[in-house]
Amino acid sequence: MKLLSPERLKLHAFIWLVLAAMSVVSCIAQFSNQSPLQTNLLALLPKTERNVVAEEAVTQLVNSAGNRVLFLVGASSQEVAITAAHSFANQLRALNKSSGQPAMFKQVFLEVPALDTNQIADFYAPYRYRLLTHEDYKGLSDGPLHLNDQLQQKLYAPFRFGLALPVEQDPFGFADRWFAHLPLKNFKLEFENGLLVGHSADKTWVFVSVDPEGSAYSDVTQDQVMHAITTAESSLKQAHPGVELLRAGAVFYASKARQSAEKEMHIIGLVSLSGMLVLLYLMFRSIRPLVLGFLSVGFGICTALAATIYYYGEIHLITLVFGASLIGEAIDYAIQYFSAHLGAGKDWDPVSGLRRVSPALMLALTTSVLGYCVLAFMPFPALTQIAFFAIIGLVAAWLSVYLLLPATLMQPNSHPPEAAVDIPQRFLNIWQRYMTKRSCVMIVLAVLVISVPGLFKLKGNDDIRLLVTQPPELVAQEASIRQITGMSNQHQFFLVEGETTEQLLMHEEVLTQQLDQLVARGELAAYSAISTFVPSESQQRKHQAAWQANVFKHSTLLKETLAEAGLRDDIAGALQNDFQHSNKNLNVDDWLKTSFSTPFRHLWLGKTQQGHYASIVLLQGISNPQLLARWADDQNINAVTYVDKAQSVSTLFHTYRLWSAVWLVCAIVLIYGVLSFRYGPRVGLVVLLPTLLGIMFTLGLFGYLHIPLSFFHMMGFMLVLGIGVNYSIFMREGIMVDVKTHQAALLAGVLLSAGTMLLSYGMLILSEMPVLSSFGLTMLMGVGFAALLSLMVLSVER
Amino acid sequence: MLWMTMGSLNAAHAEQQDVLKQLGSRVEQHAVLRADFTQTKQMAALKRPLITSGKLLYSKVHGVVWQITKPYPITYILSEDKVIEVSADGYRKERSVKDIPGFAQISRIFKAMLSGDVNALNAYFESKVFENTVQAEPNQTAWQLQLTPKQTQTSRFIQEIVVTGDQFVTSIHIHEPNAASTAILFSNTEAAPTLRDAELALFRGK
Repeated sequence: MKLLSPERLKLHAFIWLVLAAMSVVSCIAQFSNQSPLQTNLLALLPKTERNVVAEEAVTQLVNSAGNRVLFLVGASSQEVAITAAHSFANQLRALNKSSGQPAMFKQVFLEVPALDTNQIADFYAPYRYRLLTHEDYKGLSDGPLHLNDQLQQKLYAPFRFGLALPVEQDPFGFADRWFAHLPLKNFKLEFENGLLVGHSADKTWVFVSVDPEGSAYSDVTQDQVMHAITTAESSLKQAHPGVELLRAGAVFYASKARQSAEKEMHIIGLVSLSGMLVLLYLMFRSIRPLVLGFLSVGFGICTALAATIYYYGEIHLITLVFGASLIGEAIDYAIQYFSAHLGAGKDWDPVSGLRRVSPALMLALTTSVLGYCVLAFMPFPALTQIAFFAIIGLVAAWLSVYLLLPATLMQPNSHPPEAAVDIPQRFLNIWQRYMTKRSCVMIVLAVLVISVPGLFKLKGNDDIRLLVTQPPELVAQEASIRQITGMSNQHQFFLVEGETTEQLLMHEEVLTQQLDQLVARGELAAYSAISTFVPSESQQRKHQAAWQANVFKHSTLLKETLAEAGLRDDIAGALQNDFQHSNKNLNVDDWLKTSFSTPFRHLWLGKTQQGHYASIVLLQGISNPQLLARWADDQNINAVTYVDKAQSVSTLFHTYRLWSAVWLVCAIVLIYGVLSFRYGPRVGLVVLLPTLLGIMFTLGLFGYLHIPLSFFHMMGFMLVLGIGVNYSIFMREGIMVDVKTHQAALLAGVLLSAGTMLLSYGMLILSEMPVLSSFGLTMLMGVGFAALLSLMVLSVER
Repeated sequence: MLWMTMGSLNAAHAEQQDVLKQLGSRVEQHAVLRADFTQTKQMAALKRPLITSGKLLYSKVHGVVWQITKPYPITYILSEDKVIEVSADGYRKERSVKDIPGFAQISRIFKAMLSGDVNALNAYFESKVFENTVQAEPNQTAWQLQLTPKQTQTSRFIQEIVVTGDQFVTSIHIHEPNAASTAILFSNTEAAPTLRDAELALFRGK
């Protein structure tokens, strides 16, 4: 490298300044607009469904119900509960109107219009000869023999329950039984005094729900909704002290996750930054490296932030928290340069100093970027974004060392280098005297002996809940709500498709017939399907034919049966006349227009973009989801797809976890290639070995400690590889330098790097997000061991 | 039957409440009741009233068994969470409360009517009380309870219910909106502290 003039160095620093100003302005501009922060963890998942319509159906389901906020207002007396629920709902409505801004709630739902049973009966009555339950169809096909029994039962029942047609319209109760099989009521809530009421051991609960206008994951919605709810809750508690309020909804989880992520980002960023500054000061005893280190890291993070938001249009919470911990790695480059400065003492020349650390920095950056590149190729949007962020941030921080530091660190160190590196120097001397190659081999063997048995105890964890922070009090409240209302939060469903509406309904019927068996065996509590409300036309024709063949064909018998039971003589004729004039089939379009179909309309997807028709069959109370998934696989019904988003995600995690092991091996081979290129195959292996052992030792410990390995631990190992190798490279490059004080200074730099690294990643363990804490734990242990073991590189001759 | 109205139609609301409360405390809530019943049902579709008779078993805890013996044996077992229909050949058909909209209320109203539980009925009906002290037995007051539904949901099925009783409920008259009516008369009513084993088995199922 040609020696550069001070003017040239100043030009470089000026370029850096311009770049830095650009990225700061860009960051401020992007954040002052609409916040580009994405808090929906599930949005980071890749598409899991092969069927495009299924993926759409999942999105639609989440959009229709996923934003809803549920409340139960409970008190020991029903009257108090009702009054309290009214005042709570009214307060929410008042807040909604008075906010001055566009309404934040689509609706606040408390009063329910009574399920108009007359309306349902009136709608179905004209089609009653086309609607039969499976049992009645079978019974009717066997012949008209049982009609008498059924007539008697209809007449003698001491009270009517549920939907029923009058005796003269439905003397045998076929319509009544068909009505009874409609899943109009699946929840434990009851309709009382215009409200939905639930009961638990000692309390009465009134159901209130709210549909926010925006997404639960938008921070504007979160702030507005949380504020309104908190206000309404505190005045509720004031007016009715004994009243309990239970809540459930994505908005609570999302807002909690955002709060804790923001808090964590602040704490992690603050602690690791200040810890780092303290360490830097202890080492260099000067403010200048502190400021410069801070500037170069800040430049890296800022540029990464600006680039990520520019490229993706948003930045995910996980990326941001991860970014806060990237500080620990980004500062390494600057530290190496400062160490060179420290070690050179009076002979300092900024450019030759740069030349001295340049190979180490280059190699370290290459291996890190390689590691992150592997991460970028994971088919997981979250990781791609993290990798993108990390690569930009590291390159920018590395660039800072070249552009900014030489111009700003012109003066030699005022402290004598021997004094500054006294402790590392002594450590180095002792290590190189006592730690021979043989003792290193012993260490390697010891690590292997300890870790290998642990490896066999390793277990995996691919649960989707890893992605979601689960504050215990929210989880408990949601569980109580599920228990009181009988609502489930299972999202498994079948997607049914057909070229025409009729074909779709027929496919549904094939499926529901199978599902009925599951219900009978108790493996499924219930399901809701459009074809339950509107049978296919072919079913309807079959039912009508059964009526014709077994009832109306025998008109004398019909007349006699009715007369015997005491019914008026004209009724038989009226029925016959009715039957002959009923020639219209019930169809889905008419059904969708009724008001009682509202709670089920989300089952109907209608015409898809592919020109097909699609619907959902929603399942409730699945006793064993895995068993059901296997059952669904075995059925293989035409045009029916089983969709279990949670299970798909877990399967995805599982696949990725296994694949990431393969990727890890690939990355190791790649890095080994780079190292052998620089050091030759033997020393290359020595440089790689501490990191490999660090990874193995960490894995072994996880095995002993029964920490199940998740995909996110594997991602951690990917980074451990990149960073751990850095330390060995710095060590190796350090001892290749002739001057002893330089060696000691570089060793001190590595120790400092490891210290800052452990500080920043160690802080991640405290994260409430399982993803980040497992990531942090892996980093802490992996990098910690790798840094310790990298000292072995010192025992290898130059 | 002669009725001397003590609480009149124009009686002050407070007074009504008072009488109701008294009545509520007077009609003793027995754990188990057994009675014979005769039910007369009138409907537009019927040429002549439909008369059925049988036995009633009421348990405060377990529910109601409505056992029709004439003209056609069929039994309805109404428990807290399901209704079971047992036909003459012993075939049981069960339906769960949670599948039937409004069933829980109907079941609660029916139980309250059978046991004369005024407090429970007040949740669903506006009630008026008429009382008559029988000279021969000064301790024994006969009463009549006139119920009109509070909720439109209930008023679709029931126009008015009149329950009469003394120590026990003696009759129930249900008037439906479409000129249909049901009259149930009870006789041989007896109270007991507990169910017999065989009766308990009915509720528990086979």
